[in-house]
Amino acid sequence: MNPATTTAGPAGPGGRLKDVTTRPEFTLAVLAAAGFLTLAVATDGNLLSRGTLEAFFRFLAVPIVIGLSQMVVLAVGQMNLSVGTLTGLSAMVAAWLMLEGGLPAPLAVLGALGVGLAAGLANGLLVVFTRINGFIVTLATMTIFEGLRYGVNGPDTFQGYSPGLRDVGAASVLGLPVVLVLALVVAALVALFFGRAVVGRQLLATGGSPFAARLSGVSNDRSIVIAHGLSGLLAGVAAVITVAASGSVNSSIGDDLLLPSFAAPIIGGVALAGGVVSVAGTCLAAFLIRLVDVMQAQFGINPRWIDLIVGAVVLGAVLLGTMRQKLSKGSP
Amino acid sequence: MLTAENLVKTFPGVRALDGASLRLAAGSVHALLGENGAGKSTLIKILTGVHQPDGGRVALGDTGLHLNGPLAAQRAGIGVVHQERNLIPAFTVAENILLHHLPRRFGLVDRARMHAEARRCLGLLDLHLDPDTPVSRLSVAQAQLVEIAKALSVDSKVLLLDEPTASLTADEADRLYAIVRKLRDSGHAIVLVSHKLEEVFAIADTVTVLRDGRSVAEAEPLADHSQDQIVDLMVGRAYSSARLAERRVDPATPPLLRLDKLSTARGHHDISLSVRPGEILGLYGLVGAGRSELAKALVGLDRITSGTMEVRGRPVRIRDVGDALRGHRIGYVSENRKEEGLFLDQTVARNVAVTVWRRLAKAGLVTDRAERRLMTRYVDRLGIRISSPSQLAGQLSGGNQQKVSLAKWLAAECEILIVDEPTVGIDVRTKAAFHELIAELAEAGLALLLISSDLPEIVTLADRIAVMNDFSLRGELDNDHDYARMSQAIIRLIHDDRALGGQVHPAL
Repeated sequence: MNPATTTAGPAGPGGRLKDVTTRPEFTLAVLAAAGFLTLAVATDGNLLSRGTLEAFFRFLAVPIVIGLSQMVVLAVGQMNLSVGTLTGLSAMVAAWLMLEGGLPAPLAVLGALGVGLAAGLANGLLVVFTRINGFIVTLATMTIFEGLRYGVNGPDTFQGYSPGLRDVGAASVLGLPVVLVLALVVAALVALFFGRAVVGRQLLATGGSPFAARLSGVSNDRSIVIAHGLSGLLAGVAAVITVAASGSVNSSIGDDLLLPSFAAPIIGGVALAGGVVSVAGTCLAAFLIRLVDVMQAQFGINPRWIDLIVGAVVLGAVLLGTMRQKLSKGSP
Repeated sequence: MLTAENLVKTFPGVRALDGASLRLAAGSVHALLGENGAGKSTLIKILTGVHQPDGGRVALGDTGLHLNGPLAAQRAGIGVVHQERNLIPAFTVAENILLHHLPRRFGLVDRARMHAEARRCLGLLDLHLDPDTPVSRLSVAQAQLVEIAKALSVDSKVLLLDEPTASLTADEADRLYAIVRKLRDSGHAIVLVSHKLEEVFAIADTVTVLRDGRSVAEAEPLADHSQDQIVDLMVGRAYSSARLAERRVDPATPPLLRLDKLSTARGHHDISLSVRPGEILGLYGLVGAGRSELAKALVGLDRITSGTMEVRGRPVRIRDVGDALRGHRIGYVSENRKEEGLFLDQTVARNVAVTVWRRLAKAGLVTDRAERRLMTRYVDRLGIRISSPSQLAGQLSGGNQQKVSLAKWLAAECEILIVDEPTVGIDVRTKAAFHELIAELAEAGLALLLISSDLPEIVTLADRIAVMNDFSLRGELDNDHDYARMSQAIIRLIHDDRALGGQVHPAL
């Protein structure tokens, strides 16, 4: 045996390029670009008009952040079913703090983030201390948050809160909505966290092989609590974006986020079993789902079809993933 | 240097360690030997903080150690390479080596330092691996060496290697042992657990032998012992096996099950054996030898790639378990009764009847009464102790659970029964009753294939013993029930590479 000879040595320029093109993110990027161009042509360039393009990007921010929120729990091999209702609850709390509490917008924003973080940590602690499956725990807390979300203001709508915050929600820099820039900054931070931060690597170690992680002194319980806490915090970020961009919130906020929260990371190549994440893949997949949404609006397709299409794409992505795994096992 | 005294560890139903001791000296290689289930792995797991002992003490020099977790063991300078691979596939070599103390700067991983440190550890082993290679791209041998590098990265003075060469080729093993010698010369204390006695004698200085959770030889110089003496120590001469009633199998009876040069998708090759009605063929081997996997292939759970399988003299192809059961009357009492053999939250009656629901059903419906009638018959026959027919299988003791698992296949009127590790985790008295039961089944005309890692059990029960290693048969022995002679012959078949021939009978 000579390990030196079988080392996957530094790839030459050709190898690098091949490395890039065989990555699932590359496929997604090509799909996204092709889809965007096709839609632009099919709408006679309408998609590229200033207003449409801005709206397209403005409503991409929440799907990206909510996808990342699900991705961080998937990283440790868990799920968070409560991301949608938690986003709604945090949004309602922020609006309530401004309208009923009379607090300035920045404090309301902190309040929303705080609610998200606290609820996420509660999810994580419940999973760790009760040893109940995370799916069940978050299924229960999903319903609890749903009740609390309704409790904040009943069936009524909050509107007319801080003009400053709403201005931020509507503002653009260099043609890109500020909220999308915010989402991308958050994505970059999450990428840095999993790519370089010690705690982030420990989360991935837990997801990849819990026993091996334990033998290396990584606390799997700590990883699970941190992942859920971070997921909640990101749901809080999604809530802030919603409050800023939509101008009014009521107790139905977040109801339509659960499927997209899974769709983005799963289509983006994140392993359901944990241990592998892809921030770029998740963002690109959110972009693709947004394209499907816009297509529906542009061509007046019955919205029910959209759920069917997204659901089918999620199933297809999972199937593709398992097939890819089998192929790469067959020929390493 | 490192000492462990009188360690005791009990798991539910099993006393895994019962006064085991180990004494290590710096700059030496210490062999830890023992048969399956002697407690080697448990001892290793205690020394590395995975399990906590129920009694006894571990000390480094004169100071006692409280190893309450893997991290505590690492801090004490004890590094380990477990039998199973414990690397994170998606991570790079460098990250895996340093996972327990990733160098950090402002909370971020300091890649430059991580690489330098990983290179240093790899350098100790003369390994020239790119630290950036993902572990999933390494060969088994490379991954093994990366684990050793990982164990060394904590400045360990004690290095525990549990079966390090189990999945290596001879060349790779040689290279590994060259590294072990180098580490010994630099003052490390190394514990080597291995089933390969030649290797042990080639490299180890001292030896501890465990039997039934106890040290029967403690830190003795290996040079004082011959291989035969070590084998004696491992299996124990003094064992007196319970004599069961003599059974006579007419050698002229045609076999009920016959395999001829069978190979499977799982890697078995050229397996030839046969079992006659009324006969017990013992299948012995070390853990991982491929015995359960063979059983699973026979009942259609795995693919047979070549060779023939004959049942009642006719070549058959088994499609699935249903086919094995209903078409050919072959049953498999699995080793893992909790996960594979029983429905723990179902009643005993339902567990017994599961194989024959179709026969019991009237107009597609299975009545409770039919199930109970069937169950009562087997409860009496096997002496299963239950409080009521509606008791849940999960509430029974280990021995009774195993009987229910067996009853299920008897209810299906199996004629060929494969019994896998029937008495693991069962107390001694129930074990004896179980042995009688198995002998009675043979007496009643069943053909039994008994898979066991328990040498006394095989020698007590089997008429012939086939020995398996590394997914092929090493040979077959006629059992004369003389424990001392049989056990040594069996152990030699496994350990001695030149054993083919001599007293070995070619398989039918």
